[in-house]
Amino acid sequence: MAKFDLNDDSLVVIIGSGAGGGTLANELAQKGIRSVVLEAGKRFKMSDIENDEWKMFGKISWLDKRYVEGPARLARDFPNLPAWIVKGVGGATVHWAGVAMRFQEHEFKMKTTNGTVPGANVLDWPISLQEMEPYYEKAENKMGVCGTKATGMPYHGKSSHYKVVAEGAKRIGAHCEQAHLAINTQPRDGRAACQVTGFCMQGCRFGAKWSTMYTEIPKAEATGNVEVRPESMVLRIEHDTNGKVNGVLYADGNGNQHFQKARIVAVAGNSIESPRMLLNSASNLFPNGLANSSGQVGQNYMTHTTGGVYAEFEKPVHMYKSTVVPGIVTEWQDNDPTRGHLAGYELEILHLGLPFMSAFLNPGKSGWGRELADSLANYDKMAGFWICGEDMPVESNNITLHPTEKDQYGLPVPVVYKTDHINDTRMRNHAYARSKELFESVGAIKVNDLPPYPASHNMGTNRMSEHARDGVVNRWGQTHDIDNLFVSDGSQFTTSGTENPTLTIVALAIRQADYIEDQMKKMNI
Amino acid sequence: MNNDKKVKRPKNSGHRMSRRGFLAGSGATLVGGAAIFSCTGLFAANSKAAQKIGEESNKTLLRMARDVFPHDDLEDKYYQQVMAPLAKRAETDPELMELLTVGVEALNQESRARYGTAYLRVETEEERVVVLKAIESSAFFQRIKGDLMMGIYNNPEIWAKFGYGGSSWELGGYINRGYDEIDWI
Ligand SMILES: Cc1cc2nc3c(=O)[nH]c(=O)nc-3n(C[C@H](O)[C@H](O)[C@H](O)COP(=O)(O)OP(=O)(O)OC[C@H]3O[C@@H](n4cnc5c(N)ncnc54)[C@H](O)[C@@H]3O)c2cc1C
Ligand code: SF4
Repeated sequence: MAKFDLNDDSLVVIIGSGAGGGTLANELAQKGIRSVVLEAGKRFKMSDIENDEWKMFGKISWLDKRYVEGPARLARDFPNLPAWIVKGVGGATVHWAGVAMRFQEHEFKMKTTNGTVPGANVLDWPISLQEMEPYYEKAENKMGVCGTKATGMPYHGKSSHYKVVAEGAKRIGAHCEQAHLAINTQPRDGRAACQVTGFCMQGCRFGAKWSTMYTEIPKAEATGNVEVRPESMVLRIEHDTNGKVNGVLYADGNGNQHFQKARIVAVAGNSIESPRMLLNSASNLFPNGLANSSGQVGQNYMTHTTGGVYAEFEKPVHMYKSTVVPGIVTEWQDNDPTRGHLAGYELEILHLGLPFMSAFLNPGKSGWGRELADSLANYDKMAGFWICGEDMPVESNNITLHPTEKDQYGLPVPVVYKTDHINDTRMRNHAYARSKELFESVGAIKVNDLPPYPASHNMGTNRMSEHARDGVVNRWGQTHDIDNLFVSDGSQFTTSGTENPTLTIVALAIRQADYIEDQMKKMNI
Repeated sequence: MNNDKKVKRPKNSGHRMSRRGFLAGSGATLVGGAAIFSCTGLFAANSKAAQKIGEESNKTLLRMARDVFPHDDLEDKYYQQVMAPLAKRAETDPELMELLTVGVEALNQESRARYGTAYLRVETEEERVVVLKAIESSAFFQRIKGDLMMGIYNNPEIWAKFGYGGSSWELGGYINRGYDEIDWI
């Protein structure tokens, strides 16, 4: 495996090894472009992956100090856990559920579609679905998405959980389909087929689910073009007197600091850490943080409009005997303002285990008592959704740096402010109501609405824009202000779309790698 | 909870299933009701924690635990089992012991103010819940609630009672063990 010198200034330095960073490293490596991947978390082994919700949460989550602010219930229920993400090689792809859907055409142009939305900072993406299609195809093939033309892999079998929801959807005339999952249904690409353990969100012990942890990263390393340094927390990105970035300062597992020189830097630390890094890299030349001439770094934080709905039935469902997301009710994924809200949402059939259900059914201080206990006693008779809808970019939903408090690395603690736009609230209420109708049509005796839990989808804090004044990066994820500084993760999203973000993150990273290769050849960067 | 005898279970001789069988048998009879509380506390009677906190407080804590997450067909021993680590810690952690002692006092004070009697002697669950609600945001209440939640719902020994399967990879998942079985849809 490659080992590069700290003074080697011909390298691409990639910060983060998740969906964006891990993919970019492998794509570049296959083209013969050398990179160092700096990853804050540890490198886990397959044998570290257990079918245990709290154990895995404790083992792999990003638990560094963070604050949640705003009037939303999340700030009260989880004051220090705005997001549920991973600190480890593979990033949040270790515990993602594998749902891999393409954006719809209109979702790349929400400003054009709906015009100006009061109180929101809506903008069109500088790219279209048509431009993305070949990259979606490549991403589906790379990740092994079932039910797609790209792979020809069949869908998973229909689980009991799926059947309950599909019947309810049929009865109320809503469209429900099996989920496109980046989970093998046949042995493929050196990985096993899914065994239906039901613990996708704790990491896949069998490697059936795509994760950069055991796909992109080892493939990249095998080329000899990539060195992955786990337990390497990037503290700041530095630049030369011309304003080009020239390396990053990071702390290793023992707290020792190193400076790695770079020709190009790609930031892929997920949507809280990526803007935080840029803000922490403020200098005399860039007093508001790197690439922040627009003032948009850290702004427009999006998480999708979410919530949960769990129905109780008279007879067992055993929802946990299933891939975590066996199917999706797509009926309301379009943009139809006559519903009373703009943009769309998916009802994703999703199970939690009993331990997480007890924590999320009625989170926070008031989560106790007979009603909750009775519902939990019905755990095996439950079926439910996780609502995933497009949320509005709102400038005041943002990541800022705590004025005084520092974390274990001596960096200011991030403060995450997130609250609903009125459209988000209306959409969620619509989703709660339709879900109830659906479940009652198949005999639900009780339907529980769950508030949003810590964000698993994090987007938008270094958004893509046509004009430098509106966002942080251009159509290639290259920062408007600094040619050799890129953003390669979900923070590039201009708007959130309805769909889960990872397929789009991966497609963008594949596309970005082509651009970086081209620009390097032309000696533009 | 899972006492529907008609539910088809996959055949399996693994230890998990035999434990499930054992629990189903022992938990089948309802052991709720006030009678049980006259002789049991939350901490085992012979534990140092029980002696330190006193019999009355110990019983009060058990009553409270059963009111916070009431599962009438879950025997006291499970609530006690859940709290064993807390009891152990309280023996050597004076601050924790203080939290518990003062907490029980506050609970009783609240109860006396509302119903003129100690928590343990408030007759109905409905009334006791009013008392608990009043102290809900205290560190004492949240500590008990948090430990109970993890202890009950994150306890592999009682998952089977809730019809939750727990770890399945070592059994080959559910691909050949009924992931698609449902007889009422
Ligand atoms: C429970 C759960 C279920 C999900 N299910 C789905 C799903 O079904 N479909 C879907 O599309 N998406 C899903 N997601 C979301 C998906 O995981 C993320 O969108 C995706 O992984 C984000 O990719 P990323 O590259 O932006 O960041 P990540 O994958 O999170 O990678 C970021 C990496 O950067 C590292 N890092 C951060 N800061 C630094 C630093 N300063 N120095 C060095 N390294 C750093 C982190 O440790 C991390 O490894 C789910 C997420 C969760 C939590
Ligand atoms: S259900 Fe399938 S994809 Fe999910 S963790 Fe189990 S084997 Fe992996």
